[in-house]
Amino acid sequence: MWGNPPAVLRVCPCGRSMSNSSDTSSPVVSSHVSLCDEGEDGAAEDDGSWAKNGAGDAMLEQLKVLEPSDRVRELQTILRDSTTSRGDFIFYADRLIRVMVEEGLNCLPSYKRTVITPTGHEYEGEWFEKWNCAVSILRSGEAMEKGLRECCRSMRIGKILIRRDQDTKLPRVYYAKFPPQVDKRQILLLHPVLESGATAKEALNILKEHGVREEKIHIISLFATPRGVHKLLKDYPKITILTSEVHPCSPSHFGMTYFGSD
Amino acid sequence: MRNGGRGERASLRRAAGAVLSESAGKKETMELEDGEEALGGGERVISVSSSDSGSEGDEVAALPADTTSPRGNKASTPRKSSTPGERRRRTIYIAGRPPWYDSHGQIAEAFVIGLAGGSASGKTTVARRIIESLGVPWVSLLSMDSFYKALTPEQNKKAAENEYNFDRPDAFDMDLLVETLQKLKEGKHVEIPIYDFSTHAHAKYKHTMYGANVVVFEGIMAFCHAPLLKLMDLKIFVDTDSDIRLARRLRRDIAERGRDLEGVLKQYNKFVKPAFHQFIQPTMQYADIVVPRGGQNRVAVQLIVEHVKDQLKQRGFNNRPKLLAGQRETEALPDSVHILPNKPQVKAMHTVIRNKETKRDDFVFFTNRLACLAMEYAHSFLPFQDVAVITPQGDEYSGKRFNGKLCGVSIMRAGEVLEPALLSVCKEATIGKILIQTNETTDEPALHFLRLPSDISQRHVILMDATIATGAAAIMAIRILLDHDVPQENIIFVTMLAARLGIQTLAYSFPHVRIITTAVDPKVSRDYHILPGVGNYGDRYFGTEPD
Repeated sequence: MWGNPPAVLRVCPCGRSMSNSSDTSSPVVSSHVSLCDEGEDGAAEDDGSWAKNGAGDAMLEQLKVLEPSDRVRELQTILRDSTTSRGDFIFYADRLIRVMVEEGLNCLPSYKRTVITPTGHEYEGEWFEKWNCAVSILRSGEAMEKGLRECCRSMRIGKILIRRDQDTKLPRVYYAKFPPQVDKRQILLLHPVLESGATAKEALNILKEHGVREEKIHIISLFATPRGVHKLLKDYPKITILTSEVHPCSPSHFGMTYFGSD
Repeated sequence: MRNGGRGERASLRRAAGAVLSESAGKKETMELEDGEEALGGGERVISVSSSDSGSEGDEVAALPADTTSPRGNKASTPRKSSTPGERRRRTIYIAGRPPWYDSHGQIAEAFVIGLAGGSASGKTTVARRIIESLGVPWVSLLSMDSFYKALTPEQNKKAAENEYNFDRPDAFDMDLLVETLQKLKEGKHVEIPIYDFSTHAHAKYKHTMYGANVVVFEGIMAFCHAPLLKLMDLKIFVDTDSDIRLARRLRRDIAERGRDLEGVLKQYNKFVKPAFHQFIQPTMQYADIVVPRGGQNRVAVQLIVEHVKDQLKQRGFNNRPKLLAGQRETEALPDSVHILPNKPQVKAMHTVIRNKETKRDDFVFFTNRLACLAMEYAHSFLPFQDVAVITPQGDEYSGKRFNGKLCGVSIMRAGEVLEPALLSVCKEATIGKILIQTNETTDEPALHFLRLPSDISQRHVILMDATIATGAAAIMAIRILLDHDVPQENIIFVTMLAARLGIQTLAYSFPHVRIITTAVDPKVSRDYHILPGVGNYGDRYFGTEPD
């Protein structure tokens, strides 16, 4: 279901609105990937560095965007619509979270396993290795925990609370609690909206401090901006980022609408 | 009359207790026949048995074992055929409707028997005898009485004075009748108007009658309209002596409809008798068979039944072995089949649900998880429209919305395992049900119960069943939806596991129906199990498997 990254990242050179999925599904041969950003200045900067950067292709491999489909686009549309009621918002957010969590779980290592069916025949299946856990970045990351629990009833969940420092205005880790031997585990980092990338960066730093290797970290987000993705992958090229959409406009209201607090 | 007492006993017994088993039903039928041997004996049965009801329209036989009373009270109880679930005290759950289409889901036309004859000639008795002896599980009885035109106030006044002429062809809504019979013949469901003989108007509500393998159509003027004649496969004229008919009519109208002798005779002489000679008797020439003496003529009924049975055999409905014979392992799957991408998580979920050691707790949990993925995937195939919305950040965002109406229809019982998933994806989905069970003796699927949203033809339908083996039940379910005017393009069939054979059959039979499954297995065994398969899905999910 993952799109070919260059095709998916063919995001609007136009600026704010994104092309319809019917367009994006058309084959793209161009090797040039253009990303636009919120501010025009930023767009130019990002665009240039991405295209010039020799590591551009490798970075794209670490970004997995859900293959565009009308059904996912509908979820995104509802979540971005300012007229959506909170009840609908939660319902459709949960749906999108569920889709992304299911996709995220596919990143975990698995092995072959054969079972016998009630008809007495063999079925060649697959099963997952142990040593996984999720870590949610508070507060909005907690919105994804329900979806995760609906798929994995007993997965261990760590938490990181990150807030902006009153004085420096920079994000700072206030609290972190991880499952034991977190460095041995594959980590699904739950972070619904990847905007500037600053918060996620703090989270990655603290995970690194606990000895977690980059390649074991999979960020599961719903929405990501090109700016944020680029920033993270530049500093942490081996992590994996999953998202349903890369779009310059970030639905920064997500956490507040989901939890109903202003 | 000599056996009238026995008939009364039988009907009293019927009135007292519900007929709950097939064997009991058959026994009752026999007793009823015993009791009716004497001419007119049935009339006594009628008056007694009508007290046992309050359930209108029970009159129609939908089953051979149906022991419904021969109520002559046509006036207040227009006939209908109804789905088994709507009927009380019936043996119907034992025999559902067998397939009414060929192995590719294409419609085989119903066999239509037309019954005409003078008023009170015993058409109903003949019809009932035929239905009882046929032994065909799904028969609809359509009465021309339901199709009287509604009267104007002026005509109504005349009718009260016995001055209105009901006995002529243009008293009936022939166009509606032709349309209705045509649809029934095609196996579609129809709405039958309810004619109220006290007000001579149509009731607000209509009865729904479902297509059948055999449709019996009866009425005094059944042969008076050429387009109607064309729809009949067998035309029977019931010819009863006019004295006997008048005697019966007098008794019926006076005893049951509370009318006076004077008025009945007036109407008879003025309208009924002339109409018989003018319109009804001449149509005898169109009949294939004339049955003298009505319902007592057992030889005639037996001959008719043999002929109909013969015809039905030629049309042959025995699909499952045919489907199995078509097993092709190598052929590519048609484009309308969509398999959930086989990712590690999907495989892992299958590993759980297929493992015979899996406990029900895990089986249910992973079924729900997998079903949610299947349902999300199925939603990809709905038609979405472009919309533009304004985000809280003040930007315009061009997105997509599905603006149509959706409903789910689950094939009971196993299809219900997908319902929670449907509701987790579409929180307001309307859900309809179709109960299809395999007939143990014939191994064919049989339709037992149906409840669909009334506006289903306007909706996109997600049809759900846990597994597709030969595809026989799925074909029946899709056929039902088509009979309810749902276009193929609006049907998405979602299943947890399909055998290659069944999914191919289904896709080739209905090329425009989308079929979504989470996995396709290579084989179907001779006893119709998917291999390697998952076992009995419904039993494992609901915990009803034998120890």
